Amino acid sequence: MSRERRSLLAGIVLVAALALMPVAGVNDYFIAVAVRMLIFIALGQAWNVVAGIGGLLSLGHGVFLGLGCYATGILFNFYGLPPWLGVWVGALASLVIALVMGAMTLRMRGVFFALATIAVSLALDQLARHYVDLTGGDNGLALKFLGNSLWFMQSRRPGPFLYAALAFVVAYYWITRWILASRFGLEMRAVRDDEVAAAAAGVPVFRTKLLGLLVSAVMTSVAGSLYMQSYQAIDPETAFGLSQAIQLQLPALIGGLGTSWGPIVGGAVMILLSEGTNLGSTRLGIAGVDILVYGLLLLAVVMYAPKGIMGLFERRARGGS
Amino acid sequence: MSGFDTAMVPVLQAVLSGVLVGGVYGLLSIGLSLAFGVMRIVNFAHGDLVMYGMYVGVVASAALGIDPLLALPASFLIMAVLGLAQYQLVFRRFVGATTLNQLLAAIGLGLALQMVAQLVFGVDARSATSIFAGSYDLVGPFFFARAQIVAFAVALIATIAVELLLRRTQWGKSVRAVADNIEAAEIVGLRSQRINLGAFALSCGLAGIAGTIMVTYYPTDPTKGFALMPIAIIATTIGGLGSITGAFLGGIFCGIVQQATAMLWNSALQDVPLYVLLLVFIAFRPTGLFGGRSE
Repeated sequence: MSRERRSLLAGIVLVAALALMPVAGVNDYFIAVAVRMLIFIALGQAWNVVAGIGGLLSLGHGVFLGLGCYATGILFNFYGLPPWLGVWVGALASLVIALVMGAMTLRMRGVFFALATIAVSLALDQLARHYVDLTGGDNGLALKFLGNSLWFMQSRRPGPFLYAALAFVVAYYWITRWILASRFGLEMRAVRDDEVAAAAAGVPVFRTKLLGLLVSAVMTSVAGSLYMQSYQAIDPETAFGLSQAIQLQLPALIGGLGTSWGPIVGGAVMILLSEGTNLGSTRLGIAGVDILVYGLLLLAVVMYAPKGIMGLFERRARGGS
Repeated sequence: MSGFDTAMVPVLQAVLSGVLVGGVYGLLSIGLSLAFGVMRIVNFAHGDLVMYGMYVGVVASAALGIDPLLALPASFLIMAVLGLAQYQLVFRRFVGATTLNQLLAAIGLGLALQMVAQLVFGVDARSATSIFAGSYDLVGPFFFARAQIVAFAVALIATIAVELLLRRTQWGKSVRAVADNIEAAEIVGLRSQRINLGAFALSCGLAGIAGTIMVTYYPTDPTKGFALMPIAIIATTIGGLGSITGAFLGGIFCGIVQQATAMLWNSALQDVPLYVLLLVFIAFRPTGLFGGRSE
């Protein structure tokens, strides 16, 4: 069986197994963990576009996640706008912010872009904390719950979100595959690997970087709206804080930067580890152990496995053949 | 007051407090700028060493009964040694690596350092008292916290000392040679790894001094490291990445903008203009005000 076929088959089996969870009467806790995992896989896939394929380190993708959450939440709570429409307002806001940020920084060296993403997330953090009437300030914004409804994308139980999140993961996987196979993806990777050589070969470097950022920002924002519906609340720390920024990066980093399966594998590993450590640390009575785990994971991956878990597989596959 | 309009008093007070606060931001930034200038490393864990420097002050004052000001040399040495370890264990292999891997490694290290601090010192805010704590000086209509004046003086002395070290000594010359062109420096016989190691230790030692002097008026907790990084990054960029005097002046600039925003607009949004300024500088003057390394 070809590699292509095998990966398709693995995908179908995984999707089917997850989709059967509510039908098979699996405990809601496990379904909620699966939803969290799938949402972070989708978010990781979005970050992977700009950082994995494009090589641009965004430390502030929480900006787009937050804009998606706050836009759908504010428009719903204050204007009764269903999230089906609010999501596009969030996406538009993310597009505009990404455009301004990218236009101002992407002509410079990569480090400036990374620093700028931090500045933008901190600015939004302070603004979100200050404009309490709109955002709920430090306490955050909780969605008004109107009862189970498809139109308002609300449900007490996590089952429906499982299907929505699965749809996101499948769609984002295909988008990533499509980008990787397209001319645009090739140009992004060329810019990532050697900017000067890419420019010499006629690749419009700045435009390619900017477009990659815009695609990634919109993907993150749209998945952010789903995040909001599923968690029903958002606050500045969750949206723009450092540990969220790292949670957005880890799936692709653990799994393998720039690969279509990387964020899927990495997201699953990250959520299982974080659930495990949270369980363990509550028992031991120490709070916040997952941030240490994240830090050590980050360090270990970057130092010893820069190609992530998929890289380890690749090495074995090559060694075997 | 004669001579000027009393309406100007709050504005001038904001500027003067900004200079004092900003001097310490400058001290936070010169070590960061040094590491970047020599090794092209943006050390995200720098703030965490500042946080450890703050705890040195806390331990000195609370456990040993020593004034934090007297603990400054110890703090410098401890953080320099920690810096040596960090360089050998982590950063050594990222000199010349892509920004992405290097920044992520530094963030991972920073998180680990933060967690260790949390396990050792707990999550509660701690402070240290020095002989200057709580005393204020009035000059005309303006007031100054004496702890901040002392901190500013320490920052100024440290900046001048580092500049002299880099410009006037043989060691400083070799550091600058490695920073300018690592291959050429090695050809003429300089051992770049050893020089990098020394520069990195100095950078971390400066973080220790910054922390210990800050804790005399600003309480610490394990998350302070990451909380202080943004302003140090902005000061360093505005001053010009890699420039020592630039970082110090960049810090003062940030202090003034921050205090003026707090006084004239809104103290809850005091950092927002700084974040916008960072973007503006990156877009229009990436070499900073005082011409750092642009490449």
